[in-house]
Amino acid sequence: MYDDDVIAAIATGYGASAIGIIRVSGRSAFEILKKIFTQQPPYKHRYLHYGHILNKDSSIIDEVLVSVFEQPHSYTGENSFEINCHGGILVLNKILQRLLESGARLAQPGEFTKRAFLNGKLDLSQAEAVEKIISSKTERALKIAQRQLRGRFSSKLDTIREKILFLMAENEVIIDHPDEDLSSISFEKKIETVRNIQSELKNILKASELGNTLFEGILLAIVGKPNVGKSSLLNILTGTERSIVTEIPGTTRDVVSESFVIDGIPFTILDTAGIRKTEDVVESIGVQKSVEAIHKADMVLAVFDATKKLEDEDLHIIEHIKNTNKKTLAVLNKTDTPSLICKSDIPFDNVINISCKTRDGLEKLEDSLSKLSLGEIEDSDIVSLNANQKESIKNAIDICEQLIKDIENNIDPSLIAVDLIGLTDYLDEIVGKITNEDMLDVMFKNFCIGK
Amino acid sequence: MIYPKKYDVVVIGGGHAGCEAALISSRLGVNTLMLTIALDSIGAMSCNPAIGGLAKGHLVKEVDVFGGEMARNIDETGLQFKILNKSKGPAVWSSRAQADMTAYKLRMKYILEQQKNLDIKQETVDEIIAEDNKIIGVKTNIGNEYLCDSVVVTTGTFMKGKIFIGLNEYEAGRAWEPPSKKLSDSLRELGLRVGRLKTGTTPRLDARTIDFDSLKLQPGDDEPVPFSFKTTNFNRPNIPCYLAHTNEKTHKIILQNLDQSPLYSGMVESMGPRYCPSIEDKVVKFFEKKQHQIFLEPQDEHSTEIYADGLHTSLGYEVQLKFLRSMKGLEEVEIMRPGYAIEYDFVDPTQLKHTLETKKIKGLFLAGQINGTSGYEEAAAQGIIAGINAAFQMQKKKLFTVGRDEAYTGVLIDDLVTKGTKEPYRMFTSRAEYRLILREDNTQLRLAEKAFKAGLMNKEHYEMVMEQKAKIQEMVKKLKTTYIFPNDDTNKKLQALGTKIIKTKTDLAKMLRRTEINYENLIELNPNLEKLEPFIKQEVEIDLKYEGYLNLQKQQIEKFKKYEELKIPSDFDYNVVGGLSNEVRGKLMEIKPSSIGQAIRIPGVTPAAISIIVVHLKKSNDKRYKSTA
Ligand SMILES: Nc1nc2c(ncn2[C@@H]2O[C@H](COP(=O)(O)OP(=O)(O)OP(=O)(O)O)[C@@H](O)[C@H]2O)c(=O)[nH]1
Ligand SMILES: [Mg+2]
Repeated sequence: MYDDDVIAAIATGYGASAIGIIRVSGRSAFEILKKIFTQQPPYKHRYLHYGHILNKDSSIIDEVLVSVFEQPHSYTGENSFEINCHGGILVLNKILQRLLESGARLAQPGEFTKRAFLNGKLDLSQAEAVEKIISSKTERALKIAQRQLRGRFSSKLDTIREKILFLMAENEVIIDHPDEDLSSISFEKKIETVRNIQSELKNILKASELGNTLFEGILLAIVGKPNVGKSSLLNILTGTERSIVTEIPGTTRDVVSESFVIDGIPFTILDTAGIRKTEDVVESIGVQKSVEAIHKADMVLAVFDATKKLEDEDLHIIEHIKNTNKKTLAVLNKTDTPSLICKSDIPFDNVINISCKTRDGLEKLEDSLSKLSLGEIEDSDIVSLNANQKESIKNAIDICEQLIKDIENNIDPSLIAVDLIGLTDYLDEIVGKITNEDMLDVMFKNFCIGK
Repeated sequence: MIYPKKYDVVVIGGGHAGCEAALISSRLGVNTLMLTIALDSIGAMSCNPAIGGLAKGHLVKEVDVFGGEMARNIDETGLQFKILNKSKGPAVWSSRAQADMTAYKLRMKYILEQQKNLDIKQETVDEIIAEDNKIIGVKTNIGNEYLCDSVVVTTGTFMKGKIFIGLNEYEAGRAWEPPSKKLSDSLRELGLRVGRLKTGTTPRLDARTIDFDSLKLQPGDDEPVPFSFKTTNFNRPNIPCYLAHTNEKTHKIILQNLDQSPLYSGMVESMGPRYCPSIEDKVVKFFEKKQHQIFLEPQDEHSTEIYADGLHTSLGYEVQLKFLRSMKGLEEVEIMRPGYAIEYDFVDPTQLKHTLETKKIKGLFLAGQINGTSGYEEAAAQGIIAGINAAFQMQKKKLFTVGRDEAYTGVLIDDLVTKGTKEPYRMFTSRAEYRLILREDNTQLRLAEKAFKAGLMNKEHYEMVMEQKAKIQEMVKKLKTTYIFPNDDTNKKLQALGTKIIKTKTDLAKMLRRTEINYENLIELNPNLEKLEPFIKQEVEIDLKYEGYLNLQKQQIEKFKKYEELKIPSDFDYNVVGGLSNEVRGKLMEIKPSSIGQAIRIPGVTPAAISIIVVHLKKSNDKRYKSTA
């Protein structure tokens, strides 16, 4: 469609890029930037602006560089900016969320290109391609979104839809058919219905957290005693040399985070300091952090050294992990050299032999990570909501609150109708568009009206 | 013969659409001819003897502002007037009046007869003549051929009308009047799609045989308000209606005799309205309901005929009589005319432009029930728009269209031409997205400028409305900048008014937003405030009390307008647009939306499709792309 909303999207794909870019475009783009960025205007065209992106409560989300382009000298021909942040899908998503809260909306597939075209920024051959992009990408995105939305929640979404329609129909009967003697619809019943809708919406939001695994990724903590090869493992999984690998035990002292994708699931991996009892202050902070990492993580990758017998430190780690009850994948590393222990010595259900040196077992490891992360869940059981949809549900939940208040205060039905239409607007994508015709259908089915 | 006088506009039909179309086109100064099957039926009310009601009252007032007659006519002939929903918000206040239907039609005929530039003849049009998709004239049943530039067809339920009473059926346009048997074939031959719809009406009862004492009285308002903004010296009676009820016995009789209903025996297959169900439908579909309301309405001050609203039926005469007599107060009732169902031809309205001209034939306009609507008011609103445009086209003026953001008339026509209809279309307030703005009370304020610019309102009246508007704005501003202070005197007054005291300096606008406070109370708080005439006072109150909601709708309208202003040329070729599904392409080619805004409203057209069209429009408008493409 054509409008001058401010649109935003993550420009870098998921994966191991060290830097993440979010692109934002629209006439009033800078007003949004102003709201979330420590650096205030004026912003200089084509300059990089350094600062922090802040949460609503002014806490820092990330340290960033923002490049600013004034209209018409930008890709889209509109005011636009790009936020360059420290990669990592979590941070990217947080910043995107923040932009949406502040008035931007998620860009449709191909929308930046479309705007570039509409503003005369593309040549003919590029323009020809725009249609194709829009039709193919949108169609695909739509299909995925619908399939994901209408899994196990299908019937729940239908009930929400029905309830909203019924509330609307009731309200419109009161307005448009004042002559009818309808057994009056009780006040409590209405409020109960709104509450029902609200709690269903909350449930969906909750369920989407599982679905978010697919979008936002899984936080994976690598733990193990010093020198077992944690950093090596991280490097081969991500294909980078981010973590420093040495023969000296206790090399990694901070938590290093990095992302990679397996089977479309983005993982963010936290490399930690080896856990052991330590007197070294810097390292003990690192240990503390790795304990925290286990708590924070969705899954744990426990690394053991096949060339050594299990030591106190290993047992200490095992106990620690078991206490947290987290999904765990154990890895027996350095299997390229003669081993002193084997899989059965490790007290976890899932154990894999691997060598970071020869990359033997890497495939098996990736496979297990993918399986373990989604567990036995069927694709259709996952509600996956994008940031926009989540924002919409949150807004819908708020409107429900307003609606309850308005019903309690007995405000005018023509104003209640405004609340209800607001509710349907927010839930458009989620329960399907509700038209006036749909409402009339429900009305005539449920109320005997008309002279 | 070919009639020697050539007309600019020929209006076929003398119902509510036809009357408005003929009047406005002749009022705008073009030579107009009205052809009707029966002169005596001009302005006749085929169904209930009432004008207005929810959303319909809005239409009547809009027609009034556009220079129409309906409002004036009911103001002169109404038997009782009522504002519905007065206890609810102003957006949904609606005027309704019971009409003396005989007086109504006589006055309408009189007005038509007085009208300059208008001839009226009793002839049945059998054929519309067009050449190269352009109107030439019409041919009538007695062999006359009238040449003209435009034709406005307003045939109501007359085209191939067929009436059902029980298992009896006969051809008729309305009750006992002959149908128009050939016209719809002529329209078909011109290439228009014609479908069939059904509607019904109720039995008319003899007042002398009704025991009114046992029924509930339903009078009009004590202080009636006229429909028309031009009405002065308003002085009409307040003749009551009565409320009766069906009961379980009534329902049983109906259920036992369903085989006598053409609706249930499959004789009538066309689609009837959902909102105006027959009594047999009500009893079957709402089996659990123990009673239904029946409104007994006077039809004519000087006749004993009573209209039994709520009893649409196609059951046989014997069954009608039996179930009527099962009701309290009607034990001895006599039927004067039985209820009936009627089936008729209509033209799929998606073949029309917003001007109500057909896309196919230049100069051919359609208005009223022929477009699949129901109701006098819906008909009148279309009639006036078609009449204005037939005249304007003749005068080579810019044609007149009304937006969804401007008036119910706009909503009605846009719905028809964009979505079509499967049942007789009735207006509801819920169909208007901007209901809080499109109110009855502000009809003049919101439409005067449009009407004046198009030459539909005279300067004097226009200036009067503009003065009102300015006064309202001035007062709103004033109240926002006039303050009261938290002193003893003020707070005592506030307590006396039953509202919370104030603790800080407060502007009067803010005070007025309190539900329990009205403008008169403000004068008590600040005696310097001037007295206002009731209309100005009411508008100031509405503007301030609903300000937040009104602003919200104004914002929505701005967004809506942006899409409306993105025009799609009528020759836009959807075949060269890649990436559209066949279904969407087919719809777009059929409706030929005039703007992106309209395209969005076509059911089934996806946002992705809209995106693609926007891109294409840009491409074909942009010279850079045009030269090479
Ligand atoms: N032979 C062999 N050596 C390995 C393998 N994986 C890692 N190493 C070696 O083991 C040593 C430690 O590797 P790191 O990856 O730094 O271990 P770490 O667990 O991150 O150690 P800290 O950060 O100190 O806790 C390095 O010398 C690696 O080369 C393997 O699969 N086979
Ligand atoms: Mg390390």
